[in-house]
Amino acid sequence: MTKLATLAQAVASVPSGVHVALSGFATARCVMAFAHEVIRQEIKGLTVSQCVGGMDADILVGAGAADRIVYGGGSRGRSGPHYCLRRRIEDGTLATEEFSSLSMTFRYLAGSLGLPFIPIRSLRGSDILKQLQESEPSPVGTLNDPFTGQEWLVLKPLTPDVAVVQVQVADQDGNAWILGPRWDNEEQVKASKRTIVFTEHLVSTEAIRRFPERTVIPGFRVSHVVHLPFSAHPTSVYNVYDFDAKHIERFADASKTPEGFQKYLDKYVYGVENHWGYLELLGGMEYLSSLEADPVFGY
Amino acid sequence: MTAELDYAPYELMAAVAACELKDGEIVAVGLGLPVIATFLAQRTHAPNITIIFELGIVDPEPLEVGVDGLSDPRIWYRAKVHTSFADMLGSVLHRGLVDVGFLGGLEIDAYGNLNTTLVGDPKGKFRRFTGSGGGNDVASNANRTVIIIRHEARKLNEAVSFITSPGYLRGRDERERAGLRGGPSRVITDKAIFGFDPESKRMRLESIHPNTTLDDVLSNMNFEPIVPDNLPVTAPPTVEQVRLIREEIDPKGMYARS
Repeated sequence: MTKLATLAQAVASVPSGVHVALSGFATARCVMAFAHEVIRQEIKGLTVSQCVGGMDADILVGAGAADRIVYGGGSRGRSGPHYCLRRRIEDGTLATEEFSSLSMTFRYLAGSLGLPFIPIRSLRGSDILKQLQESEPSPVGTLNDPFTGQEWLVLKPLTPDVAVVQVQVADQDGNAWILGPRWDNEEQVKASKRTIVFTEHLVSTEAIRRFPERTVIPGFRVSHVVHLPFSAHPTSVYNVYDFDAKHIERFADASKTPEGFQKYLDKYVYGVENHWGYLELLGGMEYLSSLEADPVFGY
Repeated sequence: MTAELDYAPYELMAAVAACELKDGEIVAVGLGLPVIATFLAQRTHAPNITIIFELGIVDPEPLEVGVDGLSDPRIWYRAKVHTSFADMLGSVLHRGLVDVGFLGGLEIDAYGNLNTTLVGDPKGKFRRFTGSGGGNDVASNANRTVIIIRHEARKLNEAVSFITSPGYLRGRDERERAGLRGGPSRVITDKAIFGFDPESKRMRLESIHPNTTLDDVLSNMNFEPIVPDNLPVTAPPTVEQVRLIREEIDPKGMYARS
């Protein structure tokens, strides 16, 4: 059954106020086209989650589409902090549930297995844990191991309403390959009620069946497949295109201030009708082809 | 060792950090100096170490090391395995298989607790930083950790303002009682090397780097470490170590310029 949808249709399926797990990690495989369209459609009040903060979460938080983030911290790497996230955490307008990379992964994993909680050795003794214990309602607790009597910290599972995942290859049913490291994406998808796949390449199911060991996301978990080249720009998609250092720098500079960030949105998000308009504004194929990945290096 | 050997402070730190790794160990590596140190160890005394990056990379052989962050595919090049957080931080780190983890931070205290989250009062005015990522997980689950941090008074305090990654908490057996394994074994700065007193778990000076004085080390810290009577000078990197860093590991000098 085809699940092919346009960007606008897929995003319109996401109501305001739901919990969306995002596939980005810093400047890799962030769902940027999705984030731009969420902002254009004025969807509000989202909770976003991911192990390590990506540019997708940063722009959604900055534009006021998300009011709550559940994550393990993170930055853009060398090009600096996520300024929008930082600003809204510092001014107290963003509800934050902060964990670590592994505790986030365990929460998705518990969600994916249908478990009521999951024990973990991380976080103990830290102020991260103290903050989580003080939050209402608290997503952490303690429990005694029935076999040894030892006390364990346990985490509440995450079961996002939607996972939105950027992949390299998918078919129209949503069977999708993630090439390169997968960080938390597989657990995110399996913990979520449904998944929206953004794919760079749309292939036949025959092609998927040829290499089924590459399929990380099975089609039965997917509600929409959006075939959209450069949908993670300016972040990278391993083996397809490199991150756009110049544009990331442009975003970083702009997002240092609310005014600069608004100008960025006005030009690159509100100033274009859709993703194709954004790609044209960047310089079209002439510019984008300079980012194409080498098949051996993957970048 | 030649008196004329010209090396940068980060090259000495990389050589010192490399010495912390034993052949055959599994090492959890973050970006920057730990990458250089680990590749240096691999090319010298520890050819059989296994390198993991939290996001799902095993044993990469990148052509460029001074890259954008762990999310930069340059650092994944020639990996043996592409996998996930659940695998790297779960079935390797949480399972207890990581021998050494490298950590860094904004701020460290006398008991090796690290802050990468915020400076100031979280209920009042504060400046927000990166947070944990996999830092807390490595600090909690690795069998030992090696911390690399710049030697500045504002970074070396009696107590950190926020414990992102626990060291020995307030010392003695507090870490063990919190149910954590391992703990920091070394702190490497650009002026000195520290260990931890086996009883009190307070930071103890192990050696000071060439061209530094004890006064310079102590006056750039906001707490008093334990200072032994006999204080050696850190061995400088060898000619071969410096050559490997400059010609093989970071031939474009990307780390040196950062």
